[in-house]
Amino acid sequence: MPTSDVVVVGAGLAGLTAAIALADAGAAVTVVARGHAATHWTAGGIDVAAPPQSSTAAEGLARLKAVPGHPYSFLEADVRPGIDWLTSVLAAEGLTYAGDLDEPLRTVPTSIGSTRRVALVPDAQSAALTPWSPDERLVVAGPVGYKDFWPATIAASLERPRVWGGSDVAGARPSRVDAVSVELAGLAGRRNLNALHLARMFDDSAWREAAFAAIAAAVERRGSGRGRIALPAVLGLTDHAGALRDARRLLPLAPFEVPLVPPSLPGIRLFQALRAALRRRGGRIEVGEEVIRVDHDRRRVTAVVIAAAARERLFRTGGLVLATGGIAGGGLLGRADGSLVEALLGLPVEAPAVGEWLAPDPFDPAGHPLESAGIRTDDGLHPVDAGGKVVFENVAIAGSLLAGQRYLVERCGDGIAIASGRRAASTLGALPAAANASRRREKAAASR
Amino acid sequence: MTIMDIVQEASFAEVPLSADECLKCNVCNTVCPVARVTDRFPGPKYVGPQAQRFRIATILPPQAPSTPVLASPDATVDYCSGCGMCTSACPADVKIAEMNSRARAEIKAGHRPRLRDWLLGQTDLVGRLGVAFAPLANWTLHNRLTRTVIEWTIGIHRRAPLPVFARSTLRSRLAARTKGSGREAGGPGEPPPDRAVVLFHGCAANYYEPHVAFAAIEVLRRNGFETIAPEQVCCGLPFISNGLYGRARNRAATNLGVFADYARRGYRIVGTSTSCTHTLKAEYREMLDVDDDDARAVAAATWDICEFLLDLHDQGRLDTTFGRLDETLPYHAPCQLRSHGIGLPALDLFALVPGLQAIDMDHDCCGIAGTYGLKKEKYDIAMAVGDPLFQRLRATASARVACDSETCRWQIEQATDRPAKHPIEIIAAAYAAGYAASGAAAAGPGRSEGAAANR
Repeated sequence: MPTSDVVVVGAGLAGLTAAIALADAGAAVTVVARGHAATHWTAGGIDVAAPPQSSTAAEGLARLKAVPGHPYSFLEADVRPGIDWLTSVLAAEGLTYAGDLDEPLRTVPTSIGSTRRVALVPDAQSAALTPWSPDERLVVAGPVGYKDFWPATIAASLERPRVWGGSDVAGARPSRVDAVSVELAGLAGRRNLNALHLARMFDDSAWREAAFAAIAAAVERRGSGRGRIALPAVLGLTDHAGALRDARRLLPLAPFEVPLVPPSLPGIRLFQALRAALRRRGGRIEVGEEVIRVDHDRRRVTAVVIAAAARERLFRTGGLVLATGGIAGGGLLGRADGSLVEALLGLPVEAPAVGEWLAPDPFDPAGHPLESAGIRTDDGLHPVDAGGKVVFENVAIAGSLLAGQRYLVERCGDGIAIASGRRAASTLGALPAAANASRRREKAAASR
Repeated sequence: MTIMDIVQEASFAEVPLSADECLKCNVCNTVCPVARVTDRFPGPKYVGPQAQRFRIATILPPQAPSTPVLASPDATVDYCSGCGMCTSACPADVKIAEMNSRARAEIKAGHRPRLRDWLLGQTDLVGRLGVAFAPLANWTLHNRLTRTVIEWTIGIHRRAPLPVFARSTLRSRLAARTKGSGREAGGPGEPPPDRAVVLFHGCAANYYEPHVAFAAIEVLRRNGFETIAPEQVCCGLPFISNGLYGRARNRAATNLGVFADYARRGYRIVGTSTSCTHTLKAEYREMLDVDDDDARAVAAATWDICEFLLDLHDQGRLDTTFGRLDETLPYHAPCQLRSHGIGLPALDLFALVPGLQAIDMDHDCCGIAGTYGLKKEKYDIAMAVGDPLFQRLRATASARVACDSETCRWQIEQATDRPAKHPIEIIAAAYAAGYAASGAAAAGPGRSEGAAANR
């Protein structure tokens, strides 16, 4: 029936978090998204806060909380409970996370031989988190013929101390970085091999046993002693847990996955776990259906309009979570006159004047003012106008559409997505429409 | 001709020009069921938006003088099954599957069609002959020896699922019912649009599965709608899928000539084949560049049967006096249904039936994709694409499966040995169960009176 207590527009981390929380609260919830979101492109970890010079995510979080107008200024208290809750939801779907917001941010390698700083990562990346002992080496290992992961190039770059932050702090980096490229069965001549192809091969337990044996032999030929192995993030999709277990069992050194250019397996696993959690709770998700308009009765949204083949499809709803993303996600659109507009409801956008969008230096460490553009809300995430007046009573904004964040520089996107997704759910879950859900469920149960 | 002239032609250029929106993000490659199982297809991104820049000729209007036709840079586009998962997953609204279909047509344009492609598109000719000689035709098409010969000569795989011809066509049965009543299509007693729908029965219901159309007719009657079934031809999708656009345009012209008039008079056009209805809704325009007033009127008036019933329900007009069906029913949503962008209406209808527990199999594509999986060189790919679905179905204890698309049903039946039903057959059975229950209580009204009482 084209009716929901709440419709969530957008199937990224924020939208799916909101939807799962709403379904948990008993609401009939439908996620509508025009396509797959950033989950398929990103590294699969949970970035909470890592502004420049921050030592821990907790400290970064505290600093961003103090920034006037930053989403963390009113969401900070929800971040830890939100992450605890979501990671337990994900663990129930077989995807566990490791790390600690109070531990120092860890510097881990990327697939181009640079590094990034992280706090919470999927279990498959967790071996990169612990500090390096003075005698520990890193072996970068990958299959011959795979174009998105070049062990020799990555190792050569990681040999340079400045890539690890230049510090000579004990434990900051491995003592040595080696590279091995391994011939794996069935890859010869496969010119279009991508991460997904490899992951599906690693889903096959017989194939991967042989593959890990070949990698183990190559690593041992490269030298002995303590260390860890960096592998491309292709260790399985449908049987990721099994592939990871086998990697740990069969390789001579502790393995960790290095996220790759898209398609990103750690992100796809995250999406699939979130989707499964939502469906398990009776929530619906329709990817490939674009909401083109929202109907409203003064300050209340009444329906979303979806572009179907040859017609518009009306989907009535008691509430709306807008998790359509910022400029990159398509939630904000730029107009030729230099103004920014919110794509669905035409909500007021808080943004710098067009002349001040960009810093003169493209690589300015402070980022660009335009990054902070977004929708201003009250603490319940209702959108507000310039005077602070709520524009729609049954709409909540979640994720990177929120004004005041600079997620590229502050590395705060996932923490905001989770905290705001959950806050949006509690705002809309309290609506009268959601109260009908439990009654409807009882009715459904009775009819069976 | 300038780029602005091209943009002016936006409706026809919508598909080719959408390549400009591609971010190269690879999401389409992650959802492609064909690339998942074979290296012969490199993935939708490579043969679609990435190759599109070399096919600049396709964005010029067909009337442009001496447009150079460039060959597709990657002939592996022929391994695209056209399931449309890529287009659904794309965050940037690139029409990837549609682009691939047009590229295939361009490769085939100017050549004499291969016998197999021509034959697979000639559904009306094959259907008429097959029904006329049904015993012989069915024996020939379900005999191991003759199928081997067919594989060698024509290239249709010997184990590919071919349907069984009915003993008589739907049209002939309908004609026998309405003969002389004046209520036949175009007759003086044709019922008005608020009490009737126009049926696009398609080839499957006409030549192979008349019972599916009759289930729809019965359900519609139960809800106060008579069914008008005007003369019609194949929607043209099999020709589109095989790259023979010229022949598909002929089919489109014939059908639009029949149905546009009904659409303008306010009738809704309802079909039981979800791929035919999608062709009327979208593919005449997106693939064939048929975008005149007739095409737009027909597209706007066309409904998939489950979509139509759910819309009735939304208006509070659906008769929901279903009987109990105590059954756990696995349901496969065909790839073509997803292209409608209407959700999964069959599941919403099933939820209205007491006792019926439908389970979404949650699999992208059964592999057959119309005629794709029939082909000798693609059969194994199609079976591998559908394999997770088949395994899931075999693991259930259910006696039957529901699925909206005929070719998917045939594929599922062949692969799992379980009968596959159109959702409308289930809905009809639920009405029948309700009637049986009430009839047992108080020798209730006859069928047609029952429908009248619900008006």
